[in-house]
Amino acid sequence: MTMTAIIDPRTASAASITVRGLNKTYGEGDLAVHAVRDIDLDIKAGEVVLVMGPSGSGKTTLLLMLGAMLRPTSGAVTIDGIDLAAAPERLLPKLRARHLGFVFQDFNLLGALNAVENVEIACNLAGVVGNAAHERSRALLERVGLGQRLRFRPDQLSGGEKQRVSVARALANDPAVILADEPTANLDSSHGHDIARLLRHLATDDGRSVVIVSHDERLKEIADRVLWLEDGGFRELSNMATDPICGMSVTADPNTTLHAHRDGQTWWFCSTACRNEFTSRDPEAAADVPHETSGEPDPPHDERTAR
Amino acid sequence: MPRRVPLARRQLLQDRRRAVLAVAGVAAALVLVLVLNGVFAGATRQVTAYIDTSPADVFVAQAGVRTMHMSITALPDDTVARVRSVDGVAWAEPLRYTTGVVTKGDRSIITYVFGYDTQAGVAGPRELSSGSAPGAGEAVVDESAASELAIGVGDTVEILGTPLRVSGLSVNGTNIVNTTVFLDTEQFTALRGPGTNYVLAGARAGVGADELASRIAAAVPDATVQTRAAFSDQESRIVRDMATDIMSIMTIIGFLIALAVVALTLFTSTLAKLRDFGVVKALGGTNPRLAKDVVAQAIWTIALAAATAFVLSLGLGAALAALTPNIRIVIEPVSVARTAAGALVIGLIAAAIPLRRVVRIDPASVFRSAQ
Ligand SMILES: Nc1ncnc2c1ncn2[C@@H]1O[C@H](COP(=O)(O)OP(=O)(O)OP(=O)(O)O)[C@@H](O)[C@H]1O
Ligand SMILES: [Mg+2]
Ligand SMILES: [Zn+2]
Repeated sequence: MTMTAIIDPRTASAASITVRGLNKTYGEGDLAVHAVRDIDLDIKAGEVVLVMGPSGSGKTTLLLMLGAMLRPTSGAVTIDGIDLAAAPERLLPKLRARHLGFVFQDFNLLGALNAVENVEIACNLAGVVGNAAHERSRALLERVGLGQRLRFRPDQLSGGEKQRVSVARALANDPAVILADEPTANLDSSHGHDIARLLRHLATDDGRSVVIVSHDERLKEIADRVLWLEDGGFRELSNMATDPICGMSVTADPNTTLHAHRDGQTWWFCSTACRNEFTSRDPEAAADVPHETSGEPDPPHDERTAR
Repeated sequence: MPRRVPLARRQLLQDRRRAVLAVAGVAAALVLVLVLNGVFAGATRQVTAYIDTSPADVFVAQAGVRTMHMSITALPDDTVARVRSVDGVAWAEPLRYTTGVVTKGDRSIITYVFGYDTQAGVAGPRELSSGSAPGAGEAVVDESAASELAIGVGDTVEILGTPLRVSGLSVNGTNIVNTTVFLDTEQFTALRGPGTNYVLAGARAGVGADELASRIAAAVPDATVQTRAAFSDQESRIVRDMATDIMSIMTIIGFLIALAVVALTLFTSTLAKLRDFGVVKALGGTNPRLAKDVVAQAIWTIALAAATAFVLSLGLGAALAALTPNIRIVIEPVSVARTAAGALVIGLIAAAIPLRRVVRIDPASVFRSAQ
């Protein structure tokens, strides 16, 4: 059976996600955390968007709002023509079940169910039951290359296989939008690559919009667009650099001490730990680095603020 | 109905050891309840066996006397004739009655002593397992008392202080309170003097027991007239009054144990699966959908335990019957239904606490790492 029999390719032009003036503030008063600030975003059908950014920058918060699991403080999120922010609370589970597919960092398969049942239960939640649900789940598992693992329980599957089951599960309701939070973080590089390609196919072949939140540089290869989130807002990607120690994307922000010079070039780091490792490998570069004792990022250095 | 993934059953069986322990624990508690009720029902049936198996529709006793156990009753000698003349009475027979002991050597057992007309036979033993009806100098002894006293047909026992030859053995006449012996009316009169204690009456076809009782009551106003059912019900109070308090305490304890076991296992297994429930919520599962899942797990546990308990109780009853004939366990359908209903209520109560936890799960939590 071919997948076209199961999935209708969508028209590749219409914006399937529209975000306008999106804000999220956790808590109130002195404790308020402004996790997402005034975000506007359009994602087309068939497009893969990778959202990157430092820890705490609001990536998961954004994804939860796209996924109808968190109410925005203000703004609008439209998916498949439905404004999630305006939908009543009791409709949100149904919206998730019918319109959205989720892929999680730690797979989140149900340990009591085998592979095919893990997909089938998502079909059931989307309103497809009985043999139709079973056949659809089988076909989806075959599509992700697990036709030989239908009756395996999650504890009998490798990490890569588990994540493929969860991709099949995300397709159970034939969603217009797939949201993935760190889908490759718990996988080795070859399995991570498999999942990345699979996600790419879901966009290209089926015309779905795929939003991936990740620190994983390798996912840049499959993304149509990479967005850099910092302090709850998107930044220009030209300001981005790659940490030479851990490979993470970092901001080239001269207001921090998280950089070092070598051979006339400036290197940027995610943390003082990475910078220290870099400088300890090459003592000459250390001269350019201010001394410090704590592992926390330093306040802006006098010398630089004066410049 | 089209098939859905049976999440509740899968989750219940995911940890087989926990499921087996839960079912076993609840089953043990329900066995306690069922067996206690069974002992009670068995004792009640044994105590009322003579009345229940009697062909009489109506029993007449001295005014105010409603039972046999611990009762003294004396009726005027013309009572039998007056009852016989009532319209609708097919037959009426006197029954002599007193309590005493039946003794062999140094063993003795408390007993009802009945004196009846062996010609008419209606007031006598319903069934003899061996021997024949008593004549002069003879008695019929219940077979289970006979085996306790180690006697048989032809042996001599002492009844009401007089040695009598055992002419036959009757059945179902021994209970936890006492046993029964039957003499013929002349022998009874020889030991206790003349008189009438009860009168038994049978109805003509087409006359109901209640109707007959009220007609006899009108004709014999200085006596207490009861139907067989009413007399049996009064007699069974002996057991009920003795056992009710302990029965209800033990039943409550049994149910509490069952509640504790179900609640505890359901609570721990739900806590262990909170993330799974969060995942189902993230995928669009509603609170009612998850509540159904938790309740279904409770009901499956209870149902399996109740079935196990039912089978175990029947087995225990059979084993006990083989070991001691004086204690009978009767598992009545009513008692099974009541126990099952109680267990179901317990399952629902037990599901309530984990339910509150499940309802409170934020689906967003599954996007945070498992830790
Ligand atoms: N439920 C909450 N209550 C209060 N503050 C929260 C809550 N969830 C997140 N935050 C805060 O909002 C900010 C953004 O959090 P978020 O989880 O979206 O970051 P992230 O980019 O996903 O980080 P990471 O890369 O570590 O997963 C952080 O400062 C975080 O502490
Ligand atoms: Mg996150
Ligand atoms: Zn680093």
